[in-house]
Amino acid sequence: MTTTRTPTANRFQPIDQQLDDAPPMPNQTDKTLAQIRTELLTTFSAADWESYNHLVGWLRDTDVASHALKVGDDAPDFLLPDADGRLHSSEQLRRNGPLVLSFFRGGWCPFCTAELCALQAAKEEFESVGATLAVVTPETRDFPRQLKRSLGLDLKVLSDVDHGVAMSYGVLFRVPYETKAHYSGLGFDFGARHGSPVWMLPIPATYVIDAEGRIRSAFVEPDFTIREEPAQILASLRQAASTP
Amino acid sequence: MELHQVRYFLAVASTLNFTRAAEQCNVTQPALTKGVQKLEQELGGQLIYRERQLTQLTDLGKEVLPMLERTLASAEAVRRRAQEFRRKEVAPLKIGLAPSISASLVLDPIAEIAKFVPGLHVELREGAAEKLVDLLLEGEINAAVVGDVQDMPARIDDWSLFEERYVVVLAPTHQLANRPSIGIDDLRETVLLERAQCDVAPKIQRSYFPEEPPHLGHCSGHDLHLQHMAAAGFGVILAPEHMPRLPTLKTIPLEGDPVSREVRLLAVQGRRYSPALDAFVKVTRLRDWSFEVPNRGLPHATVPEVARAPA
Repeated sequence: MTTTRTPTANRFQPIDQQLDDAPPMPNQTDKTLAQIRTELLTTFSAADWESYNHLVGWLRDTDVASHALKVGDDAPDFLLPDADGRLHSSEQLRRNGPLVLSFFRGGWCPFCTAELCALQAAKEEFESVGATLAVVTPETRDFPRQLKRSLGLDLKVLSDVDHGVAMSYGVLFRVPYETKAHYSGLGFDFGARHGSPVWMLPIPATYVIDAEGRIRSAFVEPDFTIREEPAQILASLRQAASTP
Repeated sequence: MELHQVRYFLAVASTLNFTRAAEQCNVTQPALTKGVQKLEQELGGQLIYRERQLTQLTDLGKEVLPMLERTLASAEAVRRRAQEFRRKEVAPLKIGLAPSISASLVLDPIAEIAKFVPGLHVELREGAAEKLVDLLLEGEINAAVVGDVQDMPARIDDWSLFEERYVVVLAPTHQLANRPSIGIDDLRETVLLERAQCDVAPKIQRSYFPEEPPHLGHCSGHDLHLQHMAAAGFGVILAPEHMPRLPTLKTIPLEGDPVSREVRLLAVQGRRYSPALDAFVKVTRLRDWSFEVPNRGLPHATVPEVARAPA
């Protein structure tokens, strides 16, 4: 069973424009991420649709996802700070069991906030099978803290400062000019959010990495509105546990 | 984009020669060219002009170069960390601090890094911001924490960490010590202790004393010396809010629109980050600096959204 909370964001609403001390989102629902996606897509304006089709089409045409690491590859090690500035190494995160590592685009993206809420709801189930959950954002400064506070998250939100980990996993791309124009028009400044004037984003991706550092499942989807359901991640964890 | 494509592009950017770049990357020239072409396709334009006698970066190439250098450095830092740990090497980290920046600001990040970098050896150097920039470019220090800097060279990466106010620090026996706040007229009539090499002094001069200079008493380049002089009743200090105080001193806010400055982290663009430096830069950029300036709200509340991000 996947239990998620409905994201408060409609369309693309910057998370930092919400009240800092807003209560965690109410109304726990049983909606799957696919159902939330369908609802979010109905709120798209014509300009959103145009931008969405352009970006997903461009990602498919250039086959950016072909670089992404696959099942059986060694997962690159990393050392990243969390939202509180504490460092976490990949070796430490997978020391006692598999690591669920999910790359998301940022707190401004409603599909990402929906996914984060779904992962939060599933966190205990992941832990019950011995897994650790960490999510990776390209955002820096106090954006990861704001995100955790706004969504009431109790997750390890790691900041991929300068995108080195996303590049190592092969999920990094430079935002095309048309997409940049659309997102800028909506008020997002990735230059400030990422601490870099070059707009780069990860393709959202979820990896299950075993204690030895090998990738046991990989979900990489250029259509950023489609995310792996926590139930599917749990199935991958159980399968990884049953096969050496 | 892939690591090897980025490596190929950076090799061409540094050598401006496809043959030498291919040798440097230990691949054939056609393989290198193909990798760069694929990267150009993904980045949406040509990165390099390829003319018979003239290989040079396009505007797009120049635009993405610093960021790709940093991203690659960030990606490689952990791999090198493992190698260096195996060799049990000492990991030096030399940090420059402007005179108005307390070492207390970097202690927590250093403690965090020390958990993961066993051979960490930190050296702190104090100097005026412009001098620290020179030391950075000369490779004498790896990073610097400074206040406002005039004319930052393009080769310096420059991140805003937080904004802080300047406050009045004085002895509890001082005649202004019981005021809830201190105004400009009071400041004009009292003796200020002069902070040598102060990067904020011109801003204070413009804001508070545009017509005639303040009464300056004694002078020091060291905040602790100034604090001892203030505690002895020699005058008052205008000090950054984060600066730790002697317990014998009092802090009073300035009235109206107080002088404030940004605290910035500097490193050299395009230079290979050691694992210790990589971790220091990451932790410092993520840190919740409001702990250091407890009277302020969010650390970036008043910083313009676009910090002076590296070009």
